Parts: sequence; structure tokens; C-alpha cells
Amino acid sequence: MKDKMKTVAFSNLIASLVFLGAGAWAYSQTLSFRTVKGSYVQAATFPQIMLLGMMGFAGVLLVQSAWKLTRFGFKANDWAYEKAASLNFVKDRGVLFALVTMVLCAAFVAWFRTLGYVLASFLLCFAVMVLIGKRNLVQMLLISALVPLCMWLLFYLLLKVNIPMGPLTFVRDFVDDIL
Amino acid sequence: MDFQLLLSSYASVFTNLQVVLMTLLGAFGGILLGAIPGMTATMGVALLVPFSFGMDLIPAVGLLLGIYCGGMYGGSISAILIHTPGTPSAAATLIDGYPMTQKGQGGYALSVAMFSSFCGGIIGALIMTFASPVIARAAMNFNSGEMFMLAVFGLSVIIAISGRSVVKGLISGFLGMTLCTVGLDPTNGLPRFITRSQTGLYEGFAFIPALIGMFAVAEVIAGVERIVRGTERHAVSHEKITRVLPDGGTIGRIWPNILSGALIGTFVGAIPGAGGDIAVFVSYGANKSFSRQPEKWGTGIPNGVAATESANNGCSGGAMIPLLALGVPGDAVTAVLLGAFIMKGIQPGPMMYVSELPTVYGVFAALMLANLAMLLVGCAGVRFFAKIVSVEKTVLYPIILVVSLLGAFSINKNVFDLGVCVGFGVFGWLMNKYEFPLSPILLTLILGPMCEQNFVRYMNLNHGDFTRIFHSPIAMTFLGLAVLSILYSIWNQGRINRLQAAEAERA
Repeated sequence: MKDKMKTVAFSNLIASLVFLGAGAWAYSQTLSFRTVKGSYVQAATFPQIMLLGMMGFAGVLLVQSAWKLTRFGFKANDWAYEKAASLNFVKDRGVLFALVTMVLCAAFVAWFRTLGYVLASFLLCFAVMVLIGKRNLVQMLLISALVPLCMWLLFYLLLKVNIPMGPLTFVRDFVDDIL
Repeated sequence: MDFQLLLSSYASVFTNLQVVLMTLLGAFGGILLGAIPGMTATMGVALLVPFSFGMDLIPAVGLLLGIYCGGMYGGSISAILIHTPGTPSAAATLIDGYPMTQKGQGGYALSVAMFSSFCGGIIGALIMTFASPVIARAAMNFNSGEMFMLAVFGLSVIIAISGRSVVKGLISGFLGMTLCTVGLDPTNGLPRFITRSQTGLYEGFAFIPALIGMFAVAEVIAGVERIVRGTERHAVSHEKITRVLPDGGTIGRIWPNILSGALIGTFVGAIPGAGGDIAVFVSYGANKSFSRQPEKWGTGIPNGVAATESANNGCSGGAMIPLLALGVPGDAVTAVLLGAFIMKGIQPGPMMYVSELPTVYGVFAALMLANLAMLLVGCAGVRFFAKIVSVEKTVLYPIILVVSLLGAFSINKNVFDLGVCVGFGVFGWLMNKYEFPLSPILLTLILGPMCEQNFVRYMNLNHGDFTRIFHSPIAMTFLGLAVLSILYSIWNQGRINRLQAAEAERA
């Protein structure tokens, strides 16, 4: 049983339960949508049909996966018995670092207005390079600084899109003065 | 067809410096991204859509089509040189392309690939120019019920792009359809899954940030995971490129393969959901079957490269036919292009041929120009692109991440969109990890609103009686096509799974 729990079939079983749960919750939300008298299709109708479709196929996946996990449903060389991807960030450093990257991205969003694009991107770019094992400090600093700066210049000068600069607003004034 | 207007549109596109420059830039970016394994044309177009934000429509379309065509060819560079297709559409190119490199003919293979891609693209663009107005004229009289069935037909291709589990593809599709109902109901303006205070979601999830999140941010997160785990492949090419275009003798030998590949590619590309990755194998198989020396295919002959490369670029013209004529994307890249058109305030579909005819002809000309730009950039930079296949991912991924996030922000200059982008990035990473395909979600985010609006309009016009739709021959034709498409895709996926299982058993 322990090995079966590491298969794609088992991960599909868990995923189908997640989709069923999420679908049921979302469906319960649609019941509180307001209605309009005289309208043949209410605001809730379309999402309800879609949610029923999603839950229906999640149910099919659940039955399919459960069947494949029994000894009657076993078929050699079926891809459902391949090793499933893991989310165990304690045992798998890859997952842990992927999660750290997500946290870094979330921090980027949170600090975007305060730090501005160039500074926030410098930190994000540098941090991701450190995470994935780049160790050439000069290259890391140059890439982290120049790529966001060039992108900002491209958007500001060519595409006329004003991107927040945070404490580096003086760079914008400097560019304006030059031009 | 108004030939005078067509010619003047071609002239104005080809002589507009901004359009030419943007198309060349797009072709450069497309080949660059296509050449790097793992970077698809879809991702390239998604990344660069925000760059087209401040431009007029035709230069923006030129940029995006340049990436599309460039990406289709770019994928062959890594397939030929390092046995790793840069894009799924180049998967069949390595069958003959890589053996040519092993024989010391890598440069020759690249020149054949470039020439075939160019010819395939031009043939596809010509067919699109003459076929799409005919289809659009027929579609002009569709009512809301028929438009609804057309959207259903478009959605039926979810099965074809579902990967090895059709059920998972359908779950993704229904999930995507549900996601596009978030926000205000299009008919009565009632909030759905949001509260009145969540103004950022009134119009639902912003398409481009969601797209960038699913296809770029998710890939970076997955890339970080692979690098840390040590499973990211890093292949290096030492091939010296000596020839840029094939000689007359080679062209004489490969032209039947180019022609048939381009026709097959255009035809397959025009079927919604059947993109370049399917067309190349169909073309390779057909050309091999009709060859006088089928035993030589797979050993490293230029005909194999020509058959596949002309097919994947022929697809670009083919996939534009349903996009322009019906407003239904032919593949993932054209789904992104559709989003870009909508962002520019233009709704592709039959009415575009009435209200925006000069724009339509401008798009035709831009596709032609994009293929020409691909040839020029390809010829000038083939030695550089051959080196880019070996680029370090530790540098590439952080750059993609900061460029993607900037792109997501720049659309509406809204930090909320950045959050949507990162959220969809995490969601995309999870979905990819557990093999729930993302392409159905992309397709439904585009077709979902069209499907719902026409459904509601039809129901209201027919006093809630849906069965009247079965009296419309056009609606029934689309329904029939949808059923056929679903059945064929299920059968085809089953066949692929059986073949893979048999191969695994042999191995």
C-alpha cells in the first residue's frame, strides 16, 4: 500500500477529491447569487453547469483512480503506476526551493509599490540566482541590476508606460532631464 | 475580395518602418525563445504581449506574428543541434535533423529547416488570405445559437490538447470555464464569487496576467525545482555553421516535401486545437509513406527536415483562419493572439471582415512579412542562435521572471494584476506537476465568455427553450463536428497511450 501511495493513480485520487471539495464549495456559493425576475438564465446558471461538469469528471477520475489502485484494475506498463510528483518540501529540496521562489514572488508583489520595479526586481533576480546555485557574483549583480533597468527604460521611453520606481524615482527625473 | 485594398494594405505594411522593425524584432525574439528548450512560442507571445501595449494594432500584430513564426522555426535549431526540440512543434524535426548533425551536416540541416519554414509559412499565409474571407462570409449570418455551438466546437478540442488523460483535460476545461465566470455577470451585472468591495475582480481575472502566470511564472518555478533537484538538462552544441541557405540541387529534391508539408500544416492548423505538434507528425508520416525510399527516412535526410518544418510553419497561416474568420483560436498561440486583439479593442470574427476590412488585410500582410522577417533574421543570426541553445538556465529563469512580472503589471498598471499573475503561476505549477493540462484552461478563458454570452442571448430570445437549437442545420453541423472531434481525440489518445505502453514494455 505504501508504494501505491506514491503512484500517479493515488495522486489522481487525491486531486479528484480536492476538485470535488472545491467544486462543492463553489456550487454552494452560487446558491447565494442574486436572481433577476423574468430572466431565463440566471447569473448562477452557467457557473453551476460548469461546476457540475467539473465535479462529474472529478468523480470519474476518482472512480478510475480507485479502480486502478485495486489489484483487479492493475495493468502492467500503465502510466498511472508511474511515480507521482511530490509536494514534500522536507524531503525534496526542489519543492522547498520552488516554494521559496513563490514566497519571493509574493514578497515582490507586496513590496512592488514601496520599492519600485527596478529595486524589487534586483532583489528578486539576485535571490533566485542564489537559490538556483549561480555563484559568479559579478555576473549576478550585473544581470540583476541591468535587466530590470533596461526593461524599465524600454517601457518608459519606447512604450510610454510609467512603472513605479520607489526610492529610485530620481532615475526617472534624470532620464527626463537628459531627454 | 477587394484586391485593390489588399494590395494597398500590403504596400502600407511593407513600407511602414515601425511595422517592419517590430516584425523583425518579433522574429528575432521568437527564434531566440524557440531555440531555447522549454521556451515555447506560446510563452514567447505571452511574454511579449505587454510590449505591444503602447503600439498601434498592425505593428503590435507584426511583433506577435514575428514571434509566432520565429518560434516555430527556432524550435528546430535545438532539435537539430542538441536532440532537444525547442518547441513541441519541432519534435518531429529531430528524427532526421539530429542524425544529420551526427553526420557533420548540422549547418546543412539548419539551412533546409529555415528555407522550408519560410516556404511553409508563405504558402500557409497565401491560403489564409484567400480562404478566410470565404469562411467569414458564411459565418456572417450565424445567430446566437449557432455562435454558441461554434464555441462548443472550439471547446471540443480540449480533448485533443489534454495530454495523456482526457478526464484530466476535461476537469481543467470545466475549471477554466468556471474561472471565467468570476466577476460581474455579463447580462445583469450581478457579482459572482466576489463581493462588491473586490473591484479588481469586477471584470474577472485579467487574461494576460493570468496567461503570463500560467505559462511563464509557472515554468520558472518548475525550472528552479528541476535545477535544484539536478534534473534540468544542459546540452551544449559545438556545431560550426558554414551554410545559411540550401543550394539549388537540394531545393530541387525537397520541394515536393515542402509543398505537401505546407498544405498538410495549413489544413491541420485550421482545425481548432490541432496545432503544429500534430501537423509535423502527420506531414512526416505522409511524406515518408509516399517516398520512393522510405527506408532512408530517419537516417538523416533533408527531406525529413523539410516535411516537418514546412508543416509547422504552414500551421501558423492555417491557425489564423478560424481565428480571423470565426473568432475561434486554432491553437494555444492564436488563443493568446486573440487576447491581444481583444486588448486592442478588436473582436476577431466574421464581423471583422465588414467593419475592419483594412485591418484584416493588414494582418494578412503582417503574416507574410513575419515569414520574410523570420528568413532574414534566421539567415543573419543562425550562428548566434546555434549558440543560444546552450544558454545557462540559472541566468535565464530569473530574467524571465522579472520580465514576466513587469509584463503582467504593465497591462493595467495594477498591482492586483501582479498578484493574479503570481497566483496563476503557483496554480499553473501545481496543475503541471500533477499533469492537469493548462492549455484547456487557456482555451476556456478565451472561449468561455463567448460561449456564455451566446447561450444567455439564445435562451432569452427563445423564451428558455434550448431544444429549438436542434432545428438549425448550422448549429447541428457544429455539434456534429464537436462530437466527431471529441470521439477522434479520445480514440487517438487511447492509441497513443497504447503505443507508449507497448514501447515501455519493449524497453
